[in-house]
Amino acid sequence: MSSARETILARIRAGLAGAGVPALPPVQSGAPLAVAELPARFQLLLERVGARLVRVADLREAAAELARLCAAGGVRALVASDAPELAPLLESLPAALVRHGPEAPREALFACDLGLSCAQWGIAETGTLVLESAEERHRLASLLPPHHVALLPRSRLLGTLGEALARVRPGAGAPPSRTITFITGPSRTADIELELVVGVHGPKHLTVFLLDSA
Amino acid sequence: MNLPGPETFAANARAALTDETLRGALRRATDTFAERRGAALAGVPDWEELREQARAVKAHTLARLDHYLEQFTRNAEAAGVHVHWAADAEQACRIVGALARQHGAKRLVKSKSMATEEIHLNAALARDGAEPVETDLGEWIIQLAGETPSHIIVPAIHKTREAIGALFVEKLGIPPSSAPAVLAAHARERLRRHFAEADLGVSGVNFGVAETGTILVLENEGNARMTTTLPRVHVAVMGIEKLVPRFADLEVFLRLLPRSGTGQHLTSYQSLFTGPDGGREGPRELHVVLLDNGRAAMLSDELLRPTLGCIRCGACLNACPVYREIGGHAYGSVYPGPIGAILTPQLSGMERAGTLPFASSLCGACKDVCPVKIDIPTILLELRQRAVEGTRESPAARGGTVERLAWRVWSLCVTGPRRYALAARLARLGERLPFLARLAPPLAAWSTTRERPRLAARPFRATFRRPS
Amino acid sequence: MKRRVALFVTCLADQLWPAVGHATVAVLERAGCTVEFDARQTCCAQPAFNSGYQEEAKRVARHFVEVFEGCEAIVAPSGSCTAMVHRFPQLFREEPAWAERAERVAARTHELASFLVRELGLGDLGARFPARLAWHDACHGLRELGLKREPRQLLAHVRGLELVEFAAAESCCGFGGTFSVKFPELSSAMLDSKLASLAEQRVTHLSSLDGSCLMQLAGRLARQGAPVKTVHLAEILAAR
Repeated sequence: MSSARETILARIRAGLAGAGVPALPPVQSGAPLAVAELPARFQLLLERVGARLVRVADLREAAAELARLCAAGGVRALVASDAPELAPLLESLPAALVRHGPEAPREALFACDLGLSCAQWGIAETGTLVLESAEERHRLASLLPPHHVALLPRSRLLGTLGEALARVRPGAGAPPSRTITFITGPSRTADIELELVVGVHGPKHLTVFLLDSA
Repeated sequence: MNLPGPETFAANARAALTDETLRGALRRATDTFAERRGAALAGVPDWEELREQARAVKAHTLARLDHYLEQFTRNAEAAGVHVHWAADAEQACRIVGALARQHGAKRLVKSKSMATEEIHLNAALARDGAEPVETDLGEWIIQLAGETPSHIIVPAIHKTREAIGALFVEKLGIPPSSAPAVLAAHARERLRRHFAEADLGVSGVNFGVAETGTILVLENEGNARMTTTLPRVHVAVMGIEKLVPRFADLEVFLRLLPRSGTGQHLTSYQSLFTGPDGGREGPRELHVVLLDNGRAAMLSDELLRPTLGCIRCGACLNACPVYREIGGHAYGSVYPGPIGAILTPQLSGMERAGTLPFASSLCGACKDVCPVKIDIPTILLELRQRAVEGTRESPAARGGTVERLAWRVWSLCVTGPRRYALAARLARLGERLPFLARLAPPLAAWSTTRERPRLAARPFRATFRRPS
Repeated sequence: MKRRVALFVTCLADQLWPAVGHATVAVLERAGCTVEFDARQTCCAQPAFNSGYQEEAKRVARHFVEVFEGCEAIVAPSGSCTAMVHRFPQLFREEPAWAERAERVAARTHELASFLVRELGLGDLGARFPARLAWHDACHGLRELGLKREPRQLLAHVRGLELVEFAAAESCCGFGGTFSVKFPELSSAMLDSKLASLAEQRVTHLSSLDGSCLMQLAGRLARQGAPVKTVHLAEILAAR
């Protein structure tokens, strides 16, 4: 292995020998948005990519919304991430509804109708959710079931992609996240004649509960 | 299956032109993409600044690629990534094969990666009895059909829904359908089983960040997330040119790539991996294979080096009037279209791919849409020169002595007024000859579909009566 | 004080379409210029350069530079030839002395519409050309010289002319020099795609600032028996 490394680096150095190095430009970021605009912009972009926004005043209302959603969707089993904020939401669900955590056996997870997680950040300019693995184990809950519900505190709304990257950047203070997932709408494909099909391997439905109280 | 190579481009193109189904599909696809890209750009007033930023970041990175590769490796390894270096395709395949064997992995899944196509990874792993299942819908369709992709972003663009439906009926035994939603649902169901059972997942890498050792994989379907989350080992193959220096640099590329490729603000998912998940709910191990395979050699020529800035968005294919008529297979290489015409000769050599730089009318539409501002027409011209005049590595692949002689004679005729006048007179005489077309094959080629222009009885210079 | 302009008529116009050369002269004179024609001129070297024959291209480019380097302004009725002259510095990048001379000549070489609008600030040349006309945005003029607005601005002042846009206006006609004979079927396919888009507009005339494109388009239109006539921008602007 090291010999391939040496070979490649030697090739590169030989190729670059004597050549000038153009300057690295400073990072340019998108123009920031006014904080007051963020929820409306986030909702607009979220809906444009085919996801749904539900504004909830507090966790109690979020729990009620979730229960309603599960009842309407005939949800028999769900998987929730390990975020402690979700506990009150799970408590108010009917006992018959099976709840799994991310550590549950794979077959159980594959059979879930709904996945529940938080989101650490929301990006208003694109309607994107940002999930950090250091904060919660979100990967399976936000991927396997056909419906993903994410709880996003309003205070966590950011304007731009650049701001989000700055917040999640591994090493910038907070513990590094090994996996950061940006989610913009449900999964989709246009591989067959460019006709849009929503819901392929990832969820077909994405609902964001925007929590006003946090 | 005997696939056409770049050497037979002219014949490949002729064959493609007779395929009306293909041409209809290409026309619809390229028109749709162009429209969507246009709409996406309308909302980005600083588009040109973004392109310049991206170009400059890539130019700098490539000029210090050794430094950034070392930095990337250091940071990735510090985060627990196993970093492997592969000088060529064979080595890369051996590394992946060894990892599969080491982990007892027989069932592999794979998300879309041009780099893995380039190194023919699937064929190599198949020889070990570990052929990965492609999980991107378009790639899976191609795999089932035993074909190669015809477009960088939508690999199965050349297939109609009816053809795909028929393929699924044949290979999967589904009830007949040609509705994309139904076909995609079948794909989801089948591929979920593969995801659930997979031992090892192979992905590509869209961007690697030197500053943090992070790799980014973007997609729409969710198959890359499945591939990189469910199996216990994740192997990511990354071309060495895919690096950016800073984590914050990801922003400009994320603004440019989805809009350029599919007209989306962002694709559904971006996954940023900095080290393996460690088994919390993802793979225990993360391996990154750094692939050279001819890229390092492309750095030495500053005129050609910008080719390595390509972020594989596919915008140039969608803009290209040549690609629009013939599709990707005619190029006979992993990378088709304008980028293919400059990348393939540099990766695979001029002897094999020397025709590709000539397969362009130099219209420049590609240059207009390239998010990293690669000046494709200028590079095409440069490569044409290499093809004709040869380089140290490859003696002149094209332009036999007759062609060279013809141009030499022509250059003499147009640099001496008497020679020029003589040539003009001879041409007028020659025009009257009935077997003119046989003497001058280019005229025959022209006349198959177009009326020939006629020389004026007297040239302009003979009729201009001003003193000079 | 009349502006002195050296005409680069282009080898194709010289041998195939002298009327375009005469029209260009007439337009420039009407625009208040004195037009000179140096009979030593021949070609801009584009055919050899595009085919990869750099030595031969350089020989021809040197001739061009020698013929025109004393001129203040060089005007050509061709976007591709003008763009080629602008590439001379790239051609001579390994010969600094020639590169410098070429750079000076290139800076003074203009395509006709560009010269009239950008250099002379003109719009109305008193032309009259009744027609229902579509404009083909020749690739080099469009993408290398940035000429989109300028030809349309000139055409807007032409009396009796109805300018019609068509969807494929910016699509390559498929000529590309030797490309058109190296890959004739492909060249024709590109041509046909463009003409299919044009057919919807039912125009009487098709125009461009590049004669080579018009040659390609005219050749196919004639073979198809289509009633559309091709006409060079210079001929329109010279018409009364």
